[in-house]
Amino acid sequence: MITEQSRNSKNILGLFLKGEVITTVAILVVLTYFLVSRGLPMVLTIIIDFAVFAIVTMSLNLETGFTGIPQFGRVLAVIAGAFAVGAIPGRIMAASMGLPWGLKYAKDSIHYQISPELTQVLANSWVFSLLFLIFCVTIAAASGAGIGWLTSRPAIRLKEAYLGISLLAFGDFFMWVGHNWEPLVGGSTAVYVPDPFRIFGGGRFQAVVIVIFLVAMLVYAYLNRLTSSPFGRSLKMIRDNEVSAAAAGKDITRIRTQSLVIGSMLAGVAGGLYVIYTGTVTAMGYSRLVWTFWPWAFMMLGGIGSTTGVLLGVMVLTIMRTMITVYRFQLFGFLMAWGINPLWLEYTLMGAVIIGVILFLPHGLVPEKVQPMLPAGRVKKLFSGGMAAKPR
Amino acid sequence: MAPWLATGLIYASALALTAGGITLLYMSTRTFNFAHASMATLGFYVVYSGAVLGGGVPYKYFPLAFLVGGVLGVICYYGLNRPLLRRGAVEITLMMSTLGYDLILLSVIQMYCDYLTFSRKLFPRRVSMNVFDFELFGVNAASVILPLVAIVFLTGLHLFLVKTKFGVAMRATIENPVLAGASGINSDRVYMSAWIIGGGMAALGGAAMSMAVTGTPVLGMNSIPFMFAGAILGGLHSLYGGILGGFVVGLTEYAGVFYLSQKFGPWVLGYRMGVPLLLMAATLLIFPRGLAGIPWAVLFGNLAGIAGKKRGAKA
Repeated sequence: MITEQSRNSKNILGLFLKGEVITTVAILVVLTYFLVSRGLPMVLTIIIDFAVFAIVTMSLNLETGFTGIPQFGRVLAVIAGAFAVGAIPGRIMAASMGLPWGLKYAKDSIHYQISPELTQVLANSWVFSLLFLIFCVTIAAASGAGIGWLTSRPAIRLKEAYLGISLLAFGDFFMWVGHNWEPLVGGSTAVYVPDPFRIFGGGRFQAVVIVIFLVAMLVYAYLNRLTSSPFGRSLKMIRDNEVSAAAAGKDITRIRTQSLVIGSMLAGVAGGLYVIYTGTVTAMGYSRLVWTFWPWAFMMLGGIGSTTGVLLGVMVLTIMRTMITVYRFQLFGFLMAWGINPLWLEYTLMGAVIIGVILFLPHGLVPEKVQPMLPAGRVKKLFSGGMAAKPR
Repeated sequence: MAPWLATGLIYASALALTAGGITLLYMSTRTFNFAHASMATLGFYVVYSGAVLGGGVPYKYFPLAFLVGGVLGVICYYGLNRPLLRRGAVEITLMMSTLGYDLILLSVIQMYCDYLTFSRKLFPRRVSMNVFDFELFGVNAASVILPLVAIVFLTGLHLFLVKTKFGVAMRATIENPVLAGASGINSDRVYMSAWIIGGGMAALGGAAMSMAVTGTPVLGMNSIPFMFAGAILGGLHSLYGGILGGFVVGLTEYAGVFYLSQKFGPWVLGYRMGVPLLLMAATLLIFPRGLAGIPWAVLFGNLAGIAGKKRGAKA
C-alpha cells in the first residue's frame, strides 16, 4: 500500500533529509540530555511509556504495515488485555481466599476493602508474585488473541475502509461497556489489581520498568524473526497484491486471520502490562485517541512496515511528548497569559507529525527495505545461463 | 410530541447532515474525513460563542457555523487533500491525513475553551444549549426548527445537484472523473465545492447536535463513530443513502434505546452506543454495500428513488 505512493511522489524535502536517522538521533540525544538532567524517575517514565507503546505500535505495524489491514481499532485488543487483567486474576485470588469475588468484587465499597488483602498475599511470597505475573500476561495474551479472532470474522468479509471504521466503532463500544457495566472493571470507578511487584519494596518502579522493557525487546526480536520468515513474506505478498498471492496458492483468509490474532495478542499483552504497572484499571482511560491514533502516529513517523523504524518513531515522539509535559511552563509559558494550558500542544504535535510525515516523508524515518527474493547476481546468472542454471 | 421523540428528531437530523457530508466527501475525493469530528465541534462552538457573546437566538448563528465549516474544508482541501490526490495516494493515507488535521483542530478547540474559561469567565466545557432556546407550539423550538433546517438544507442541496449546471457537473465528476474532465469540467473546482459543502454540513450538524446533547470539546470526537455508522449504513455510494443512514442511526439510538429502556430498565441507556453499531455491523454482514446496496427496486418497485438512486438496482 505504501509502495504505490512512493513511485508517484517525488518528495523534495526527502532529498534534503538524506540523513534523517542521523538527524533524529542527534535531536534525541540533545532532548534526552535535558530530560535525564531531571533525574532517574524521569528516565524511567520515558522508558516505560516507550516500552508499552512500542509493543502496541509494533503489533499495529504487524497488522497494518505487513498485512495491510487498516487497524483503526487497536484500542480493542489493548482493552481486552487490560480488562482481563483487571477482572480475572484478582477474582480468582479472592475466591480462593474466601473473599467476595462474584459480581460484587468490582463494587467500590467492597473492592477497597479486599484489594489490600490480596496485595498483601503477593507482597509476602516470591513464588506467588511470579506466578501471578505470568498468569496475568498469559490471560492478557489469551483475551487479546480471542478478540483478535473475533474481529477477524468480519475482517474477512469487509473491504478496506469499511473494515477500518467497523473496528474503530467496536473499540469505542467496548470502552463504553467497561464504563457502564460495573461488575467488569468497576465502571466509572477504578479497580485495583494485586501488585506482583510489591515484593520489591522501594525498588518496585525500577523492577516494573526492567520487566516491561525486556518484554518489549522480546516482542521486537520475535516480530523481526516472524516478519523475515516465510510467513512474513506471505503477509507482504498479500498486502502488495492479493490476487497474485491467491494465485500463488496462499490462503488469504487464513493468513490475515493469523496476523490479526498475533497482533491482537501482543496488544493485549501491552494492555495487561500497562495495568500491572499503573496498578489500576479505569475504563475511560482506554480511549481511541491514546491507544489507536497515537500508535498510528508513531508508526507513520517510524516507517510503516519497518519494525526498527517503529521503535525509533515511538522513541522520538515519547521523548517529545515528555518534553512538552515537563517543560511546558518554560517553553510555552506565554500561552498562560490567555489561560491556555500548554498540554494541548501534545495534540497539535501529534497532528502536525501525522500531516508532516504524510506530505514530506511518506516512508517514515526508516523506510521499509525491499528485499528481493534472490540476490541480484543470482537472478542475472539465472537469466544469462538460461534454464541450464539450477532452479531453486 | 414526547420529549424523547423531539430530542431524537434533532439528533437524527444532525446525524443525517454529518453523515451526508461524510458520504459526499467520500464519493468525490475518496477521503474518509476524520476531521468531521472537530469540524462539527467547531460548528457548535461558533453557535455557542455567538449566543453567549453576541446574544440573540442561537439559530441566527447557524449560517456563520456553515461558513466556518466551509472555510475549514477549503483549508483541508488545499493544504492536504489536493496534494495527496495529485500524488495518487491510497485511501488509508487520505484518511490518516484528515486525522492529523482533526487532532490539530481538536487542540485549537481545547485552547479556545481554555481562553473562554480564563478570559471570559465562561464554562464552555459542559454546555447545555437548551438554555438559549425558546418555546414554540409548546415544545422546544429546536425540535421544530432543526428538522426543518435539515430538510430545507438537504432539499436545497438536492436541487443544487439536480437543477444547476454546476451541480450536474459535480455529479458527473463524482460518477466518472476522467470522462467529466474530458468534457471540460474543472475537477479541482468540483472537489473544492465538495469540501465547502461537506465541511459546512459537518459544522451545521455539530451545531444542531449540541441542541440535543451536552456540548463538550469532544462532542464530535465522541459521535464520529455514529457519523461513520450512518455513512456506512447508507452505503457510501449515494448521497441520499448517507443522509438516510445518518437519520436511521440517530433515530435508532434515541427512540430504539428509549423503547428498550422502558422494557428492560434504565440501565440500557448506558449502552446507547451499542445499538447503532450492532445495526451497522448487521447491515454490513447482511448487505455489505449498505442501505443503498439493497435491491430496493426489486423489493418495492418504485421505492428505488428514495434510497438507492444510482446503483440500488445493480447491487
